[in-house]
Amino acid sequence: MRAGKLLMSLLICLFAQTAKSENAWVTDDESREAFAQIYAGVGKELSDLAFQGRNLFRQSWVIPPASDIDSAGLGPLYNQLSCLACHPKNGRGMPPETPDQMMRSMLVRLSLPGSNEHGGPRPHPVYGDQLNEQGIPGIPGEGRVRVSYQEIVRMLPDGETIHLRRPIYTFTDLQYGPLEPEILYSPRIGPPVFGLGLLEAVSDSAIMQLAERGRQQGVNGRPNWVWDSEKQQKTIGRFGLKANVAKLKQQIAGAFIGDMSITSSLHPIENCSLTQTACQQAPSARQPELDDRQLKAVLTYLRLLQVPAKRAADDSMVQQGERLFVSTGCAACHSPSLQTGDFPEMPALSQQTLHPYTDLLLHDMGEELADDRPDFEASARDWRTPPLWGIGLIKKINGHSTFLHDGRARNKMEAILWHGGEAQFVRTRFEQLPSLERRSIIRFLESL
Amino acid sequence: MTFRCLFILIASLTACDASAKQTLTVLTAYHEEVVAQFETAFERDHPDIDVKIIWRMPHDALPYLRQRNQGGVDVYWSASLHNYLQLKQEGAWQKLKLDRDGLPEKLGVMPLIDPDGFYCATEMAGYGFVVNPGYMKKHRLPEPKTWQDLIDARYSGHIALAVPSRFGFAPLMIGSVLQQYGWERGWALFSEVAGNAQLLEHNRGFITDVVGSGKLGIAPSLDFFATSARANGAPLQLLYPEPVAYSPAHIAITASTRQAQAARQFVGFILSAQGQRLLFHPDIRKLPVRPAVYADKPEGQFDPFAAAVLHSPVYDPSTTLPRLALQNALFDLFLTERHDQLKPLWQRLHELETQNSRSDETLAEVRHLLTAAPISLDLASDISVQQSFEKRIKDADADMQAKSLENTWRSDISRKYQRAEQLLAAWRH
Repeated sequence: MRAGKLLMSLLICLFAQTAKSENAWVTDDESREAFAQIYAGVGKELSDLAFQGRNLFRQSWVIPPASDIDSAGLGPLYNQLSCLACHPKNGRGMPPETPDQMMRSMLVRLSLPGSNEHGGPRPHPVYGDQLNEQGIPGIPGEGRVRVSYQEIVRMLPDGETIHLRRPIYTFTDLQYGPLEPEILYSPRIGPPVFGLGLLEAVSDSAIMQLAERGRQQGVNGRPNWVWDSEKQQKTIGRFGLKANVAKLKQQIAGAFIGDMSITSSLHPIENCSLTQTACQQAPSARQPELDDRQLKAVLTYLRLLQVPAKRAADDSMVQQGERLFVSTGCAACHSPSLQTGDFPEMPALSQQTLHPYTDLLLHDMGEELADDRPDFEASARDWRTPPLWGIGLIKKINGHSTFLHDGRARNKMEAILWHGGEAQFVRTRFEQLPSLERRSIIRFLESL
Repeated sequence: MTFRCLFILIASLTACDASAKQTLTVLTAYHEEVVAQFETAFERDHPDIDVKIIWRMPHDALPYLRQRNQGGVDVYWSASLHNYLQLKQEGAWQKLKLDRDGLPEKLGVMPLIDPDGFYCATEMAGYGFVVNPGYMKKHRLPEPKTWQDLIDARYSGHIALAVPSRFGFAPLMIGSVLQQYGWERGWALFSEVAGNAQLLEHNRGFITDVVGSGKLGIAPSLDFFATSARANGAPLQLLYPEPVAYSPAHIAITASTRQAQAARQFVGFILSAQGQRLLFHPDIRKLPVRPAVYADKPEGQFDPFAAAVLHSPVYDPSTTLPRLALQNALFDLFLTERHDQLKPLWQRLHELETQNSRSDETLAEVRHLLTAAPISLDLASDISVQQSFEKRIKDADADMQAKSLENTWRSDISRKYQRAEQLLAAWRH
């Protein structure tokens, strides 16, 4: 018991010390540009490349043919015109406000039961692995997904009543035929994109150690073993909401082809299925549309994005919330500290201590959050622990406070109360806390 | 499982439903952060209309709108007066026929509506000086109030000047100075300001990066780059010269649209008080054309209509449009290509002018050599010369003509700078 207390005190000391970090990967910027700060400790060449990447990340892409060949390639079928649309200000997207609105910073992944040759999701033969709501002129978008909500009420042990909303998805205007009854789908909000270089630099062995540590603490986190298309082998996934992508470069190239139908050396073929003939016949800008220099620029930009510093370390409620975050068991999965390994691709990311509040592992989050769409070794109920760094700035920067993979939670309290599966016992402990202590955990999250 | 069954039922029932919604296709060059605000707000007010955005820079928008059926575009919404004028001549627009109550027709000499009613301004961006207050204080620099102020030797090494052939916002800015100060005086001014400045020749970073990071302290620029960055927390300030020059953005409805009513609803929304107030959003910070909404402006937001009471704008962008391509080439010949040579010449001349009388004949000659306009206004106003430069990208003959002219002018400029160097070298000895 005493040892446990000592350990907790030590952990708290460690956390407190990071409030105003001297780590150059952490920015003290608290402004609406806090998610867009670029690490300056690299040479001019990499800095210039990052600036180019920033332009590419922010720019709207052009339907070919066009004379702006460096920004041409959008479509034929796509979700949005720019990276920034789904990752506004490098932060979180949100679901539509009403069923009539299109998904502006959200999309729906599709697949059929079974798996592809590498163990990943089996794409739909017509619609592929993602519903592209938009098409270039003359080529209809694939369809629409309307989001409505069913309000549910949950009463906590102390009598506090919390309203949650359960999303209901309706596919409409499907332009390329109906979806089969067995279709699997998974709605996804665009997540924040800062700190990804640091997460990429965490070594495989560190992730495996986290899984082992978790087991000792009674949680069953495990890595997702996914297909690395560059190495042509299975490796640990880190990116994507189900840790379904191995490397940041692959995540970027996957988003370019999946969300905007922009080809790259990793995805040289347009995002059209065999039966989408008009899509196949539409002009491409060049091959590939995102050339390797541009892909490297976006990769460099995202790798160099700093993470926001923790704030309000002197606030007693934040301190109490931090202690409770650990003692209720949140920190078992939302691991406060990670260490990067050697990262020769960008040595500046090597041997850094970071505080992302994730273990990069998959956890069973229960039936209510399940999406029914397995992804490599992630089951329908499994989700990668999302990093919590910067979560307290989302409202200021993105103008909303919706959380979870589909944005169903309208605030942090709701997000916690949707936790199930492995996290059920932690949620129960949270619910049993006095109201003030629950709010101190929320206050702590707002300090991140 | 129950939910999945419900979904399957809904999906299969609705798969073939045709949407009752109209799709309104809007061609624009506005940044995602601008478009997102307007698109979301418009669709919230008009749930029966889906806005489909096609994004193209002005030079790519022009051929797109010249396609059959104008590429299916219903509304063109962009800051490219050249395209609106050009396409008006080609019959590309239909009359807006909007209620313009509360929307003035002019700001100073600058029209806010096409006299024939085919397009109108939706917002403006003002040209000013982005400054970093901390940098200015550290280097004890006074706030510049006019372009003329920037020639002060105290600003030497502190100014970032965007090269107009590389930065899209800069050609009209250069044009506004050449119109406000006059051709001869304007080029003289640019030569001397360039002598104090670092020229920004690539646009990988933002102009606000250069000033916000404290690398340099002052940058002439469009206002919203700085005011938006400031609203997002950047340590920047925007100083407006008097009078202010503006770059307006416009909107028009295509002649071929089949969605005329929805198009008018969209245009009406953009010009409405609700739409105009969106321009105050921290990520936008453009200047509304509806004066009444400035009553709700955020703290520190500039009001061009109030400013015009004291200093009425004298710059009409349409008058400088035909020579922008020529002007960009002249800027490069006169200043960009020879900046390494020009900068020390100005530093030396400023030193000697401080030490000696400005009326000294040799120094006056050096000043004349450095500031003489690269070509005369008459030649710059020659339509065939202007068109050689405007068409050179797509027309080999025009390019050959432009290159020939450039070679002549380059030699002339080179000769003048060499002579200035000789005179200053002789002075030293």
